[in-house]
Amino acid sequence: MLNILKSFLKEGIKTEDITPYNEQNIVIYKKLPKHLKGSLNIRHVDCGSCNACEYELTALSNVFYDIERFGIKFVASPKHADALTITGPITRNMYKPLLDAIQNTPNPKVIIAIGDCSIDGGLFKGAYGIMGGLKDINIEPHILIRGCPPHPRDIISGILKGFD
Amino acid sequence: MKHYIESLLHSDDHQFLGVFVSDDLEKEGVFKIRYLFCDIKSKKLNTVELNAKDTFPHIDIPVLDWYEREIYDMFGLIPEGHPNLRPLMLFPENYPKDFHPLRKDANMNIKYEGYKTYPYEDFDPEGSFKILVGPIHAGIIEPGHFRFTLIGEPILKLEIRHFYKHKGIEKLSEGKTPEEGLKLSERISGDHSVAHSLAFVKAVEKIYDIDIPPKARYIRAILLELERLMCNLNDFAFIFQDVGYSFGAQKVFALKELLMRLNETLTGNRFNRNIIKIGGVSKELDTNAIKEVLGLLEKEYLKYKKLFLNSSTVLERTDTTGRIFYETAKKHAALGYVAKASNIFFDTRAILEKDLYGSLVKAFKLEKGDVSARVKVRFNDIEESFNIIKTFIENMPLGDIAKNIEPKDGEAFGYEEGQRGNITHFLRIEQGLISRWKIRDPSFHNWPIIQKAVLGDIIADFPLINKSLNLSYAGNDL
Repeated sequence: MLNILKSFLKEGIKTEDITPYNEQNIVIYKKLPKHLKGSLNIRHVDCGSCNACEYELTALSNVFYDIERFGIKFVASPKHADALTITGPITRNMYKPLLDAIQNTPNPKVIIAIGDCSIDGGLFKGAYGIMGGLKDINIEPHILIRGCPPHPRDIISGILKGFD
Repeated sequence: MKHYIESLLHSDDHQFLGVFVSDDLEKEGVFKIRYLFCDIKSKKLNTVELNAKDTFPHIDIPVLDWYEREIYDMFGLIPEGHPNLRPLMLFPENYPKDFHPLRKDANMNIKYEGYKTYPYEDFDPEGSFKILVGPIHAGIIEPGHFRFTLIGEPILKLEIRHFYKHKGIEKLSEGKTPEEGLKLSERISGDHSVAHSLAFVKAVEKIYDIDIPPKARYIRAILLELERLMCNLNDFAFIFQDVGYSFGAQKVFALKELLMRLNETLTGNRFNRNIIKIGGVSKELDTNAIKEVLGLLEKEYLKYKKLFLNSSTVLERTDTTGRIFYETAKKHAALGYVAKASNIFFDTRAILEKDLYGSLVKAFKLEKGDVSARVKVRFNDIEESFNIIKTFIENMPLGDIAKNIEPKDGEAFGYEEGQRGNITHFLRIEQGLISRWKIRDPSFHNWPIIQKAVLGDIIADFPLINKSLNLSYAGNDL
């Protein structure tokens, strides 16, 4: 225990500022409702990504990025969520579960598209197993964060910028 | 032929590596089905080929169940005598009945409409109840469906249904150039970008008949070990998290982040994408940066390893949980750390690439097959990775990092040892373009085993068992 305390004192706080981020990777289609600022609950739905985006979303909770300091939290059910993060090119097999998740999210629901695939299919464009991104199934996200996969700093900055 | 394949599947001297089918109707009038084995004694690959027109023999061994259903889905070939032939990748809710996309004569301009609901296994003993989980899970993980049948807390049966992420990568690749294929291969399973792209380029290089410069081989090996280290640290942190020890989890997650930042400084990408190319690599590595970060990581890692092994609350959860016995692992042709924890040693680096790795990869295996054995195998892998990277940096040869390529046609297998186990790709190039590419991620062998691993354990231990196997959905579903 003493060793652990000592190492805490020695290492200090590792959490960093979220700059620099890449402005070009952040596309805002619609502003997020102001009342969600400081308390945004997110349910993540993977619709066929390669798992790299999930890796980076997991990294958001580590000590360097610590997304919870901005009041952004990942929750276990769409019914608890204000926002859905969506990754991947929307496979045919995930289309229905995605619609179910969207339907079960209370209004006003926020849709955040993460990664290049999520908007138009990205590199997987043309494959028979995909619907081809949110654009092709007529769902307009509030925010799109580009990248393959996007950097954790871009993801946090993108969500925060949606409130400006 | 069927009996010969059967005997190899049960033999202790052979590791089964997968079934690879191609549509050769136009040229030879048949579909070619290749059963790939690795002869462990002679350290060579051994392919058994079958020709099929409409049917092929069903072999009653668990590892082939998914393969045979996949072949039916993709090519419409019927495994004769299969007791429960259900669609696997092409969900009957979303795809029409006679749609077999990997046939060369498949009509792709169809209406994507289902014809029935998926038939789950009929299992409903008196007094039992079911818990259905997924496809969307509670954490930040990939989608898949799990059906538990329980009596009280212990699990009586688990049926998994995957392939929610099925995109059709194999069909998509047809007609693309190998360079485009390389980009796709980095996105088969995101956390295995290096391993999958290496398996792919090795197949291409075998077809082009080129030996890459020794320095490129060393750089590739270092990148592969960095990836293995990243994945193993990630798994280690998740085990801490799933036993409820968030202090350990956060500490190890921080180590993983340091490693991903190292990747970013080395190659400009946190997953080391875009550095491997056909014929070599596109960039030299800053070995001083690697040494500096690894020195720090190794010291820190040893602290948390000690914390894990000395903490009774952790061991209480991991010991004897999720046991996979040798017989089960063998019947499913388990790969990677799952096999190593259940007394089967197969490591591509030690067996098929001994000329590069020498004795750096030791024949490490454990017998117990529980969660804690799988973590201990990872500890061994982590320490081996540190050692391999150090040795390769010290002995880095001089010279070029890439060779000029001369495109040729042909077909070949490419393989690599990813963190989850052996990855094998079968590639055929015709007129400079990919005409067949079969990808086999180790998860395709290891996923069905989870159905056996959880039996008798309580439902609350499932997340822990699942994380100890930490299989890829993306690489499995393709």
